[in-house]
Amino acid sequence: MRINEWASLYVRLLGAQIRAQLQYRASFLLQVAGHGMITVLDFVATAVLFYRFPNLAGWSLGEVAFLFGLGGMAFGISDMVCSGFDRLSIAIQTGTFDRVLTRPVAAFTQVLASDFQLRRLGQIGQAALVLAVAIAIVDVNWTPLKLVVLLSALVSGVFIFSAIWVIGAAITFWTVQTSEVTNAFTYGGSYLVQYPMSIYADWLRHFFIFVVPLGFVSYLPSLYILGRADPLELPAALQLCSPLVALAFVIPACGAWRLGVHHYQSTGS
Amino acid sequence: MRLYWELAVRGFQRTVIYRSAAVSAVITNSFFGFIFSYVFIALYETRAEAGGYTLADALTFVFVTQAMIGLVEMWAWWRIAETVQSGQVATDLSRPLDFQLYWLAQDYGRAVCQLLVRSVPTLLVGMVAFGVRLPPDLAHWLALGPSLLFAVTISFAWRFCLNLTTFWWTDHRGVASISGLAAMLLAGFVVPLAMLPDAVRTPIYLMPLASMIAIPVDVFLGKLSDGRLIAALLLQGFWARAALGVGRLVLAAALRKLVVQGG
Amino acid sequence: MIIDVHDLAKTFRVYRKRGSGLLGVLRREPVDVHAVAGISFTVEAGEMVGYVGPNGAGKSTTIKMLTGILQPSGGHMRVDGLDPARDRLELARRIGVVFGQRTQLWWDLPLIDSLDLLRHIYRVPAEAYRRRLASFVDLLDLGPFLHTPVRQLSLGQRMRGDLAAALLHEPPILYLDEPTIGLDVVAKARMRDFLAEINRERGVTVLLTTHDMADIGRLCSRLLIIDHGRLIYDGSLAAIKSRFGGERTIVVDLEDEAPPLKVEGTTVMRVDGPRQWLRFERRATTAAQVISTVVASARVRDVAIEEPEIEDIVRRIYQGELEAPRGC
Repeated sequence: MRINEWASLYVRLLGAQIRAQLQYRASFLLQVAGHGMITVLDFVATAVLFYRFPNLAGWSLGEVAFLFGLGGMAFGISDMVCSGFDRLSIAIQTGTFDRVLTRPVAAFTQVLASDFQLRRLGQIGQAALVLAVAIAIVDVNWTPLKLVVLLSALVSGVFIFSAIWVIGAAITFWTVQTSEVTNAFTYGGSYLVQYPMSIYADWLRHFFIFVVPLGFVSYLPSLYILGRADPLELPAALQLCSPLVALAFVIPACGAWRLGVHHYQSTGS
Repeated sequence: MRLYWELAVRGFQRTVIYRSAAVSAVITNSFFGFIFSYVFIALYETRAEAGGYTLADALTFVFVTQAMIGLVEMWAWWRIAETVQSGQVATDLSRPLDFQLYWLAQDYGRAVCQLLVRSVPTLLVGMVAFGVRLPPDLAHWLALGPSLLFAVTISFAWRFCLNLTTFWWTDHRGVASISGLAAMLLAGFVVPLAMLPDAVRTPIYLMPLASMIAIPVDVFLGKLSDGRLIAALLLQGFWARAALGVGRLVLAAALRKLVVQGG
Repeated sequence: MIIDVHDLAKTFRVYRKRGSGLLGVLRREPVDVHAVAGISFTVEAGEMVGYVGPNGAGKSTTIKMLTGILQPSGGHMRVDGLDPARDRLELARRIGVVFGQRTQLWWDLPLIDSLDLLRHIYRVPAEAYRRRLASFVDLLDLGPFLHTPVRQLSLGQRMRGDLAAALLHEPPILYLDEPTIGLDVVAKARMRDFLAEINRERGVTVLLTTHDMADIGRLCSRLLIIDHGRLIYDGSLAAIKSRFGGERTIVVDLEDEAPPLKVEGTTVMRVDGPRQWLRFERRATTAAQVISTVVASARVRDVAIEEPEIEDIVRRIYQGELEAPRGC
């Protein structure tokens, strides 16, 4: 299927999802508000700590807000888009995934388009707000390159988180129940990226830079944009590598998915 | 009485079969424990004490709250709502049992299971990795049992009411996110209430959700001297009783609606 | 032949729980289940074949392999010239599937939206879609609820929607898994008429899995019976009837209760108070003879003759009472 056909079908399937969700208008609006408030509360919780403590590993509240906003947006967007993968375990248990396999469209596409949590817009919007406030507060020497890095970091972050969702879903083919380990990496990951990675123990930091590259979602790009020195003395070039890393990480994710589908077709449910 | 014991056992059994869920939960809780611990470690580089909490206190706080997540189960517990949607609730209501106690007994069983299978291992991780400390004296150890009991009761009453809202709204996901977020802040779950600005702290401390998390944590930390310890337990007990009472009111309203609408 | 199955097999590894009590539920052991243990059959284009068997016999597993959902453990198959295991995407265009208990329609949207989405999924050209939709609206009487959300439809309406959805892309093969389950009498009849029509007029090959033998009787010329993963019968319906339909039952209502009647050539199947069921082979004796013997030897209030139902025959084959050699 050519890319524009794929895109057209995806948009159509999405449209169906969204229309279905909007049917429950009151509940939908409530959830948008709820998700937005949770995001703000998350940040307020961190901000409150600054009432007692002057800084976090040398990062000011504004700078931490920047991390929060960037990471939060990347996570929120990926969560909105990849919700179908999160719900794969339900599809498997109810037998809906069988239907997916009888249709002439790749399973990946169908699962991707099967759920699109528009209500996450609340979360994304709030994270964007925090990011905007952070940019206003923190004194940044803006250059065109920094702007590019910011945008590419955001997009890369979406892909990195999405790859984690896909891998988590692939694991579901073996475990059937959603693995909480996946939740640890996705939801836990969304918290992990809110704080400067210099606070973490070496092994943890290395894992989340070189294995599951969450460090490239907000921390490393932020070092560049905010003009901070890296206490860890990692190669400065890494701060600009988010897109490459995202691309490299997506590949094993697709591989894991294929293996998962193949396993499902061998062992049933 | 024996019947309620049986129900508690059933609640325990229902929970213990999810072995892999328990393991994964400990992993998740530990993961968050690590993240927040590192945050506090970094924060405490700037000062030695905040709001009466030292770094050791803060680290203990982190892991005790994580350990309590499973116990208190504030998120995604919809057992009763599911029975409403499936119609099973009609059968349950017709039994010669107190409906609220029927579920409360099962929840105690669940809580005991979670305590053993989730909370304790999480705490162990904290002890090994971050030197998390246990209650310092006998008084606090003795108070821990009742404190946790009250905490579970309050959380149950909260979930009970929440689940019964399906009698009015069928799509309960919206309620879920709002309730989750309310719980987070008001329970003193994310940030120790002690670290909040003084003006805000006392009112929040007196509210029921604080009795669910903040007080048990303070008991664990050994932060309450005798008189205040008793007072805290009494406060918890009060809220537990009151919360159950509210639950009964909601149940009565739900039953009236059931009769009127024919379910 | 449009479906060619040869020595098809599927084995699952399942973990059985052992023990009881508080922690006993935690021990498990692996067991191999041979859901399908080597079956072979062919289906010609345009046939309507019934596929029956007790629960757990392997019906669903076979269908899942034929539709590309499951990979077989052994044997091979060809559907419309394609290997379902390898050419799933291409095959998907040529098959329609209706699962009786799970709809493929989008729950919260109007029926027409689902059909429109499927049209794009299956890439049905606009003109062809309009034409086919019109014919389905006519044949299945979809008009009244075309714009109703699927969640508000009755079971019968939803099934009709699912049929239209499955046939929208004009597949040469249609698989039906329990399509009439839960339907009322009128809806069942309507569905059967529809299936008969598309098979007859449009030459759609149909493989029908069902527990409802009336469906089979009404629709299928051929019957495949599977049990414990093996094909125990493959032949025409007529052959079954003539081979096993040689048995008839006479129901005798006596004036009073009596011990089982002894009539030559008959066996007493059941006694319920003054009523007795006598079964006999056509070859052994005739109804007239049996009746006259009974009337002569006892005081008879009433007599009825029962013909064998397909359902009975098949049930007895499942239970091993009747030997069912493959082919006929």
